[in-house]
Amino acid sequence: MYPENLRYHKEHTWVKAMGKNATVGITFYAQESLGDIVYIELPETGSTVESNTGLTEIESTKATASVISPVSGTVIEVNEELSDTPEIINEDPYGKGWIAVIEVEDDSDPDELMDSSDYEKYLEDEVKLK
Amino acid sequence: MRITVLGAGPGGYVAAIKAAQLGASVSVIEETEVGGTCLNWGCIPTKTLVASAEVLHKARNAKDFGLELDGTISPNIQKIVERKNKVVGIQTKGIRGLFKSWGVNLIEGRGVIVNPKKIEVTKKDSLTEEVETDKIIIATGSKPAQIPIFPFDGMKILSSDNAINPESIPKSLLIIGAGVIGCEFAFIYNEFGSEVTMVEMMPRAVSTEDEEVSAILERELKKNKIKLLKDTKVEKVDIKKDSVSVQLSDGKTLETEKVLVSIGRSVNSKNIGLETVGVKTGQRGEIIVDSKMRTNIEGIYAIGDVVGGIMLAHLASSEGIVAAENAMGGDSAVNYDVIPAAIFTSPEIGSVGLREKQAAEKGLKYKVGRFQFRGLGKAHAMGEITGLFKIIAEEETDKVLGAHIIGPHASDLIHEVAIVMEKGLTAKDIAHTVHAHPTLSEGIKEAAEDVNNAAIHIPRK
Repeated sequence: MYPENLRYHKEHTWVKAMGKNATVGITFYAQESLGDIVYIELPETGSTVESNTGLTEIESTKATASVISPVSGTVIEVNEELSDTPEIINEDPYGKGWIAVIEVEDDSDPDELMDSSDYEKYLEDEVKLK
Repeated sequence: MRITVLGAGPGGYVAAIKAAQLGASVSVIEETEVGGTCLNWGCIPTKTLVASAEVLHKARNAKDFGLELDGTISPNIQKIVERKNKVVGIQTKGIRGLFKSWGVNLIEGRGVIVNPKKIEVTKKDSLTEEVETDKIIIATGSKPAQIPIFPFDGMKILSSDNAINPESIPKSLLIIGAGVIGCEFAFIYNEFGSEVTMVEMMPRAVSTEDEEVSAILERELKKNKIKLLKDTKVEKVDIKKDSVSVQLSDGKTLETEKVLVSIGRSVNSKNIGLETVGVKTGQRGEIIVDSKMRTNIEGIYAIGDVVGGIMLAHLASSEGIVAAENAMGGDSAVNYDVIPAAIFTSPEIGSVGLREKQAAEKGLKYKVGRFQFRGLGKAHAMGEITGLFKIIAEEETDKVLGAHIIGPHASDLIHEVAIVMEKGLTAKDIAHTVHAHPTLSEGIKEAAEDVNNAAIHIPRK
């Protein structure tokens, strides 16, 4: 449920780094807690985003939530598929359900991100107890 | 007592009937059609168009409700306008009937004040009639404001008056001004099939509303693929044979079939004799009145859009009642703190009282309760889960200061909070009131509970 090749943010987003480009999405836990996703506002390509701030908004039948960006940088690509079929985030949060590709700024610090085992531990120890 | 009302819109006709009920001998002078902008070019016409758009939307999404629709469904604009005209006709007839029943004398023509006791009316057949009166209530309203360098032509540069009587659906429509009127038309024309782009100089849509409401509406615009360009001005408009080329402040140029200008409304205070009798007006021509709707001239009152401020039909009506009562020797005033307002976008917006930013700017200590429409079983059953209830209450007293609702039926839902505010009640008073299940009104109760972190259907924060 939490692939080892990804890094995780405490606000339940994941990032996959490919050189300067980072693909981001929401985690299995995030999509499961949100329930059926009915809409995601796609960020605009060319827009900039700071880590730990809202990249975009997501809506499910239960809630609306901010997608918190795990990295700082410029949005260079968005997953247009999601505009008509946002439910693929539920079906495949790490694959077809990716949200955006961000060209990462040099000074953004990926060290604050967790690996999959730390994230799973974080879910067990802190998140799910609440 | 003879009272003459100049203008039979929602302000004037209500003032006339109220004055007649109080025993006055009343005449109303109307240049165009009873019901004014509200009934003929505003509230009611747009709502009939909204109703057509809503049915269209539902039909297009019938499969979401388990319904199979064979064939296609498309708007027939001539029929839609016919239906609109029929609805308007029923209402105007209704007002004429009320006038008759209360003995209000309707004079059709243009009235000009000659002196505080006399109005001269030029009728449609060019004959004139002098109306002697004891008191005058001016209710001449407003008209769509235009941009001088490209005035309305009714063909490519449209006013809201034109937009309610379309002959065809434009392929593309650029709307200047993403306020109440612009946003309502954006959803209507988008559903009818136009590609809609809005240009707004302010940083957000419906900028008079609470910021959270604007944010949700902007997302709905996006969902509906209506483009909104904020912080953007129109620099130049070039009218071509088959299109309009619109140059924007961000350097871009857009081609559009038609342009709708919805940048506000200007008051109708010219050529009605105000200068002759010395009625004071402000910078934008608005008639200056006190809280009892009195102008500076003894015996002359003014109400509604022509006094500027918030231009709402129901506010004009309230002011009309106040003016009529005061003209008949009463001592009434309008409570401007509790004026509900409704916007018929998709979804609707209802608001009353302070926006959160206003509460903060006033230095008030306040608390906010929120509840989402998607938390309501009824909203899910209806298939309309987008939206928010937001209630603002004073920190210490719990008294409700304002409420903002965006969601289905928000325009109807808001009035519960309006009564609460009118009576000075608290969020707890709302929370203690049993609300029927399953209804959308439950959202007001939950939001009121959330003001004190006590909502049942919100997870622990």
